[in-house]
Amino acid sequence: MASQRVDVRIGNRTLSLSNLDKVLWPRDGYTKRDLIAYYEGVSATMIPYLENRPLTLERFPNGIDASSFFEKNVPKGMPEWVHRVTLASPGGTRSKITYVLCNDAPSLIYLANLAAIVLHVWTSRVGSIAQPDFVLFDLDPGEHCTLKTLATVTLAIRDALASVGLSPLVKTSGGLGLHVVVPLAGGHSYEQAKIFAEIVARHVAAQCGGLVTLERMIAKRRPAAVYIDYVQVGHGKTLVAPFSVRARDAAPVSWPLDWSEVEAFKRSRTPVPADAFAKYTIRTVPKALHQQGDRWSGRSWKRAKLETTIGRARKLWR
Amino acid sequence: MPRAIWSGSISFGLVTIPVKLTGAVRSHELAFHMLHAKDEGRIQYERTCSIDGKKVPWDEIVKGYEYEKGEHVVLTDADFERIDPKVTHTIDILEFIELDKIDSMFFDQPYYLEPTKTGRHAYALLRETLEQSGRVAIARVVIRTKEYMAALKPSRDALVLDLMRWANEIVDPSSLDLPGDEKMPPAELKMAKMLVDSMSVEEFEPEKFPNRYREEMLALIEARVSGKELPKLKKVAPSRGKVVNLMDVLERSLKESKREGGEKSRHKRGAA
Repeated sequence: MASQRVDVRIGNRTLSLSNLDKVLWPRDGYTKRDLIAYYEGVSATMIPYLENRPLTLERFPNGIDASSFFEKNVPKGMPEWVHRVTLASPGGTRSKITYVLCNDAPSLIYLANLAAIVLHVWTSRVGSIAQPDFVLFDLDPGEHCTLKTLATVTLAIRDALASVGLSPLVKTSGGLGLHVVVPLAGGHSYEQAKIFAEIVARHVAAQCGGLVTLERMIAKRRPAAVYIDYVQVGHGKTLVAPFSVRARDAAPVSWPLDWSEVEAFKRSRTPVPADAFAKYTIRTVPKALHQQGDRWSGRSWKRAKLETTIGRARKLWR
Repeated sequence: MPRAIWSGSISFGLVTIPVKLTGAVRSHELAFHMLHAKDEGRIQYERTCSIDGKKVPWDEIVKGYEYEKGEHVVLTDADFERIDPKVTHTIDILEFIELDKIDSMFFDQPYYLEPTKTGRHAYALLRETLEQSGRVAIARVVIRTKEYMAALKPSRDALVLDLMRWANEIVDPSSLDLPGDEKMPPAELKMAKMLVDSMSVEEFEPEKFPNRYREEMLALIEARVSGKELPKLKKVAPSRGKVVNLMDVLERSLKESKREGGEKSRHKRGAA
């Protein structure tokens, strides 16, 4: 089959897109054209979350059922105008990796054309790469965990953080769980962010009892509990970017939520968490974004100064 | 610059990568000489014959294999030459395997491989490929007159040739009296696991474990040489297993970075 190429103009760049009719989601019939159209539609909202953060691409050249790969180093043949940064390899073994930065719409479309369905970003930006600008709690419901339990634990984290003066953000992971994000003021090291995350996770685990597990080995987690993964903070650690698509049926999207929505999940009769998140897909998100706007924008992010925070936590969390 | 003990090339399909071999580990064992207590004269060894009791010069010495207690068969240089492997000067890659599939008991002696000028690119390519695939190469190599099985592994910027023990050199643990599959009481298992968790670390930092025997022995020797009093032996405080209060750790860390004048707190690996 001859590969068909289409030249399109995005911003001030001309991109040559290929194989647009390639089906990436076989059970939904979504093609690479749909993926590119989606990323094009959300680019203005999404780029600020990607800007200057080293990216790991999760590429599915032959669709979500075929083999995929994680790509950290700049893909072959990437045009010079796509920004990049060379950093020490997180593994510590080899010296350097040159990461892609997605700082504008043409870059995003270029990556979509590589079938980079999922975009994983660092928690720090170029210029202050050793200083994370948020702490992440990745909430992963067990096999038999209900939406209600997941929401209860998520709200417990919010309340714990609120009690020490912080305003976390929440989004769907696009998969089965939720991400709670605490914006950090400048000047904190990864080590400090990591310890803070562990303090919060342990405090919430103690409060929620059996609803929470901190067990890293999947086999040992209680299937009805929520796993709070607090170790996704560090040099080279990433999270699925807001508005990134996932390689799952129906092409779900990581969607920023309002806390009132999590409260509604707690009352919801939907048992399975993923079902509640399934309405945010590449089909629905552009429209939802148009109607409701980005839940995370428009609010001034309150950035945590850990020194103040930990002083308060010390008094309250005994 | 460490001295090369071998030079040759890595052979992998149609590719050959010229390399030199240098030692990757050095022994820090303190060596002691044997002396005559009376006058501190060095003790010397003499080769003597057990039958006539006389000194034997080198050119009268041959090698024998004791095939039965007290019974030897003499092997000549020609015998050894017949068996000696052909000196090939290549590290022949035979297969690739994930590193954790190999029991670490097989690894015996690591050497660094250093590319010569013309091999740099191919060397980097092989290292990168191994790194990214998470695999190591199993190879055969002849060094001097002995043949070895070896693993070729990436280690930071280097490729390491780790000479391996042969399968029959590993003692089968079935010769030991060991407990088998016994039912573990879940409570005991849970307690033990909790203890393990509380003592677990993210990274292995060998610098944390100084070679105390060597340090103390060297201090003692120095004192003896300079005629000082012997150093008092330090009592080793047990610091393991202490549950560290995370809040204390964080506060200390925050204070430290503040003292550094609000300067950027540095990551261990010094990213940017």
